[in-house]
Amino acid sequence: MKVPLPIPSIRIGASQQQRCHPCKEKDMVKIDLPKERAKDWKEAMLRKMAEVLDKYRSVRLFMDICVKCGACADKCQFFLGTGDPKNMPVARADLFRKVYKRYFTLGGKIWGRANEAEGLSESILQDWYTYFYQCSECRRCSVFCPYGIDTAEITMAAREVMAAAGIATKYVTEVVAKVYDTGNNLGIWPPAWKDNCAFLEEDLKDTEGLDLKFPVDQVGAEVLLVPPSADNFVNTNTMIGYAKMFHAAGISWTTSTYCNEGGNFGLFLDYANLKKVNNRVLEAARDLKVKKVYWGE
Amino acid sequence: MAEKFLFIVLPYLSTAILLVGFLYRFWVWGRTPVPLRIVTTPAPATRVGVLWRLIGDALWFPSLFKGDKFLWAAGFAFHILLWLVLLRHLRYFLYPIPGWVEGIQTLGLYAGYLIPIPLALLFARRLVDEKVLYISIMGDFFSLLLLLSITLSGTLLGVFFRTYLVEVKAYGLSLIRFQPVIPPSHWLFGLHFLLVMVLFIYFPFSKLMHSGGLFWSPTRNQRGNFERRFVNPWDFPVAYNPQNLWPPEKYHQELAQTKEGKKE
Repeated sequence: MKVPLPIPSIRIGASQQQRCHPCKEKDMVKIDLPKERAKDWKEAMLRKMAEVLDKYRSVRLFMDICVKCGACADKCQFFLGTGDPKNMPVARADLFRKVYKRYFTLGGKIWGRANEAEGLSESILQDWYTYFYQCSECRRCSVFCPYGIDTAEITMAAREVMAAAGIATKYVTEVVAKVYDTGNNLGIWPPAWKDNCAFLEEDLKDTEGLDLKFPVDQVGAEVLLVPPSADNFVNTNTMIGYAKMFHAAGISWTTSTYCNEGGNFGLFLDYANLKKVNNRVLEAARDLKVKKVYWGE
Repeated sequence: MAEKFLFIVLPYLSTAILLVGFLYRFWVWGRTPVPLRIVTTPAPATRVGVLWRLIGDALWFPSLFKGDKFLWAAGFAFHILLWLVLLRHLRYFLYPIPGWVEGIQTLGLYAGYLIPIPLALLFARRLVDEKVLYISIMGDFFSLLLLLSITLSGTLLGVFFRTYLVEVKAYGLSLIRFQPVIPPSHWLFGLHFLLVMVLFIYFPFSKLMHSGGLFWSPTRNQRGNFERRFVNPWDFPVAYNPQNLWPPEKYHQELAQTKEGKKE
């Protein structure tokens, strides 16, 4: 039997204090973003906003056509969990829409109050930083929206706008910076990756008596395996599983020290980093002259 | 003078604003590129499939049905009744009246009597449900009130305060033929007509644009043919930052040395 989830009653400001740690300068420098919040952050954000609105039809359309029917309101796990009304997808998008209306629509420019338009301010920015990082971009709301309005698109746009002004979270920026340094999210350096692979070979010989290889940076292998990096670090049974499977199938394979992580944290930051992190897979595949890429995560 | 403006200038002005507004919005949405494939899955793989899904979305709101049965029922009832009412109104602008417009006359008449009910339900829902009240802004109430007053005035016009229909039709035909004449003076007809003009002017600036916007929505109008490469029209090359400790050049060096056996 299906038991419906209890829908919480709204509690204003319930998750307002749950904010991510701000980004650090050392990471921002490595991922080509302003190293700290820009002095002219309002202008920087508005410039980026205009650019985003001209580059993504989704964002502009979703700003314009939402009828606020509330079908998405009780579909977001962040709202179900906290009861904070700003975690309802429509209210989350409204944080962006307020600013959009104020600067980019006729109604908001001439009669802001009636159209619920609001200029960029410190308090709006705080709301953006809090609530746009309380969205996991799961797109559940878009399934229930009669127009397919996808709050993930708006969240991504808002994060991109904030990042352009040097505002981001440590969790995301640190991981992306780590990918460019070490090739993976966990920060495993190439020697450590090779050492881990050698250790697994030995371990497998000792425990199961199997003589399997865990090739690294082998040019000309058939398959490049891009696993979640944790597979070579904590979930080693999965890594052993890959080796056994490739052995049984008779496929030559390799991992790369340049690209050994399938997860892409650029998705939570901006398009350029999203692309850079993904491009790495392609570059590694070309360098190692493989025929196929098996991509986990 | 006022009559001349309200019944001869305003109809053309408001219709022009509606049409130009629609086209302008379509132009803005149309010129904005779609960089990524963000279709809601499971998605049809062919264009015909997409068309069918869009028609379904526009006619019976399956996404809403999945999420909120009450909202679906009220929304669906309102839209379907609105279609009937609108199509019935064609009889005031066409001569001779086509058979199918004659055919839906009775249905459309009853639809007109019923249409305030779902509107009132939707309005009540905005006030009763605390979540929906939280997200509602003035525009949401204004649209509902405007539609309510249009439908109520229309119903009253047809039942209690009747006007001389032959003259109304003459006025409708004169508008269509671009030879407008001033209609008979009747306060309720004037109000009904005026409110519709207000709706026409308000329409393209408001959330009511969801009617046309649905068909531009990338999550609904894209195909689910994931085996085809999707090209981003404004894609740009990316380069690594020299600040990074393990830049691609260094990796290439390492790789070359390992291959040549210089290392290890």
